Amino acid sequence: MPTPSSAATATHRLPEDVLPLLSSLDASERLQALREVKNQIIGNRTKKLSFLKLGAVPPVVSALASAVEDGSDSYLILQSAAAVGSFACGFDAGVKAVLDAGAFPLLEGLLSHPDDKVVDAGARSLKMIYQSKFAPKYEFVPGKPMDFLHSLLNNENENLNALGLSIIVHSCKTNADQKTICGAGILEKVINHLDGSINLRDSCLESLATLVKANTDAIAQLVTPVSGSGFPLRSIEELIKDKSPRTRLLACSFLTVLRNSGPTHLLDETLKTLLLDTLLHLVDDAGHVGDDALFVLSEYIANKEDMQSLEGYYRHAVIKLWDNFPDDPLSDRRLSGTLLALAELFSVLESCRSELFLYTKALDRITNALTHYNPEVRVAACICLRNLSRSVQYVSAGRLMTEKIIKSLVALLQDSSHSIQVASLATISNIVVDFAMRKSLFMNFGGLKELIELSKSMESNVRVNAVRALRNLMFHADKKCREKIFSDLTKTLIECLIQDAEPTVQEQALAMVRNLVDGSVSNIDFVFEEDCIILNAVCKQLHNAEVVEVQIQGMYVLSNIASGNELHKDVILHHVAPEAAGGSDSITIKFLQSADSRLRTATIWTIVNLTRPSTPGPGAHRRVERLRSCGIISQIKTMVNDPCLDVKLRAMKVIEQSSTEGDGSATL
Amino acid sequence: MPVRVIDSTAPSQVSGALPGDTRPPPCSLLSVGQAFTGTQNVSSLQKDEAWRVNVRIQGCDLDRGYLCGTMEALNVPMADTPVITFWEGEIVDTKNFTFYTGKWEAAPEDDIRHWSRFTSFSQFKSQVEIDGGKSLDLSSNPYIYMRWKEQYFVNVGYDCGLTIAGFYYVCFSCSDGSINGFYYDPNSTPFQKLELKTMNEGRFGFSSSSYEFQ
Repeated sequence: MPTPSSAATATHRLPEDVLPLLSSLDASERLQALREVKNQIIGNRTKKLSFLKLGAVPPVVSALASAVEDGSDSYLILQSAAAVGSFACGFDAGVKAVLDAGAFPLLEGLLSHPDDKVVDAGARSLKMIYQSKFAPKYEFVPGKPMDFLHSLLNNENENLNALGLSIIVHSCKTNADQKTICGAGILEKVINHLDGSINLRDSCLESLATLVKANTDAIAQLVTPVSGSGFPLRSIEELIKDKSPRTRLLACSFLTVLRNSGPTHLLDETLKTLLLDTLLHLVDDAGHVGDDALFVLSEYIANKEDMQSLEGYYRHAVIKLWDNFPDDPLSDRRLSGTLLALAELFSVLESCRSELFLYTKALDRITNALTHYNPEVRVAACICLRNLSRSVQYVSAGRLMTEKIIKSLVALLQDSSHSIQVASLATISNIVVDFAMRKSLFMNFGGLKELIELSKSMESNVRVNAVRALRNLMFHADKKCREKIFSDLTKTLIECLIQDAEPTVQEQALAMVRNLVDGSVSNIDFVFEEDCIILNAVCKQLHNAEVVEVQIQGMYVLSNIASGNELHKDVILHHVAPEAAGGSDSITIKFLQSADSRLRTATIWTIVNLTRPSTPGPGAHRRVERLRSCGIISQIKTMVNDPCLDVKLRAMKVIEQSSTEGDGSATL
Repeated sequence: MPVRVIDSTAPSQVSGALPGDTRPPPCSLLSVGQAFTGTQNVSSLQKDEAWRVNVRIQGCDLDRGYLCGTMEALNVPMADTPVITFWEGEIVDTKNFTFYTGKWEAAPEDDIRHWSRFTSFSQFKSQVEIDGGKSLDLSSNPYIYMRWKEQYFVNVGYDCGLTIAGFYYVCFSCSDGSINGFYYDPNSTPFQKLELKTMNEGRFGFSSSSYEFQ
């Protein structure tokens, strides 16, 4: 067989000089050009792009088509198929061009070519295409035999086996796909290739991870011994120690999927710690393996099951990840991977958050990532800060309410990407809880204005996150902040948010109003402005709402108002026990009879507050009588043995206060 | 300590006590934002003295038996301003924490001696002496027992002449939100009593706020 001469590879012509020769009528010239294109673009992204821009792909694919059609010598087919594969290898633009030029069916046709080398070339090129997200999805039809996939996996040709495994990784996207594939007996075929060459073994591990992800049936099939031989978990454990870093990574990835999808006992403690150790070592790899290891590590930590028992490991992971924190601003994937892995570590464990705060520049470096040019890094930095700010201790100490953090997060609220806006909103939501009373800092940097704008967003996810942030900003805000939030938001917008089409927005809006009227008694007056526009909206929503979380927050608004003066109490009485309603028509009775103890608690607190006098006089007596006449006191009498102790104790309080009929002696 | 991701208001997230759940029940008076006011008796043989104290709850995670907040001592003789500390609490829930402290220089005998100062504890004493109270059912008990440990000074330095080396044994009444506690530090006056009641900010009834972490 002819091989490329060293002279040919040593002296490359310019792409524009080679291109016309690809369509030459002289077969040997065409072959020479094909070889030259293939050799120039192998592993050279810049060259691939140059040839691509010049339109080299269609003539290469035409050359392949002609060679196949003519039945010409295999070498021309081999060279053109290999050139097609090279264009597709690790280069999405190349894959698109190759597919657009119609190479896919030609390559598929090569799989049944009598020459094994042509079959190899076709399989390798198709595998390159299947590694891209642009490759066509192979359809797995339930009940239809998968002869093609079987034939690939059963073949003695390793390239065909590898192609079959790539098809599974690329095309198996849903649980239905998994079921169809496993039902066709493919799983056993895949396992058989674990003993193959290094490349085949790696592809096999990837396919297995794809097939078992969130697929309990497949896991059961894997771990159930068949004919005396069970699934070779032990051999995969060995692969974690393999000398190839990529194999170690893929073995870790598979076992992580297995652990996150299967029964808790599937991996013993020794294996779990080995897995974690290996992943933390793989992070040291400077290349793709190290980058990918960070994402597998994130997935592993995302399963919170071992958080407590492996806390020491996780704290070590924070140190390790922080020591390796990438300074190179160009390593985007590594940076976002590190931030996401840290985010998972901070999501639950306070000890991990504390570990990070030991580093003086830690917050600065994470904050810098908020302004990174790559949106994926910005989102990852937001998520990392969000999880860090779940620490009441650090929020309480005001560690996260700094000028730099707030400025960066507020700037992200103006990002054109909804996902970045949502990530930033979630982080802001946590930080503005701010027990240290520095909420004005956030408002001074334009945060309030942005939140108000986003609370009008057409995207419900953005809207709900913005309103949640406003709710948290209102939480224990001082008088000045409270007034500023209220006046900037406007009564009309608050009314709209309470009546939003989305129950999640309604809930957050009502919780915000609950916070607004808490604190000083004078705060209650906010909801009485302009003919009680807000209070009326709350009451209307309480009548209309079907979601219990909305009802609970609405009821706490009424409860807070009912803890005010006589006027406040009388207005709330009018809403919870209106003259016109009674018995089963009353939402108060309906809520007191709710199966959800949270709603019963919120409702009964309103009644506790109504039966308590604010000043000596007939007010409480009158309210008790009204509550009695519409059946609310009778209902509460049935609740003295409520299964929820909180409700039971409040029921007893109502009975105690109603029996004294507001003589002023009872206290909370 | 870990903090719950979703709705940290969490005073009563479940529909009544679940069968087999022996933990103390959620109580709305012990939820985030709630404030308490009262005194801590710091009397010694030389003098009779009580400091005014305000407490506010900032975080609550019943699943992990965790509570935290701030404590403000108002008329501390050696301080120019009120002294604020951040504290973290362990709720005795028989799952995450028992009546036995097991740290902070508190032996089981110290635990029993302090818990016994709360009248409501007498019914549990004999069982606690056996296993720290691990097998007790606290689901219908109207009192919640806790340990509060101050972690750091919020507004003054560690050179303020005060110590936060000890911790409080705390008994919270679910009925009226009153709190009784005893400060324990082998190097301080024994049995300094903390007495707190819910703070209503001029209101005539119960009012509450809530926040939600993401």
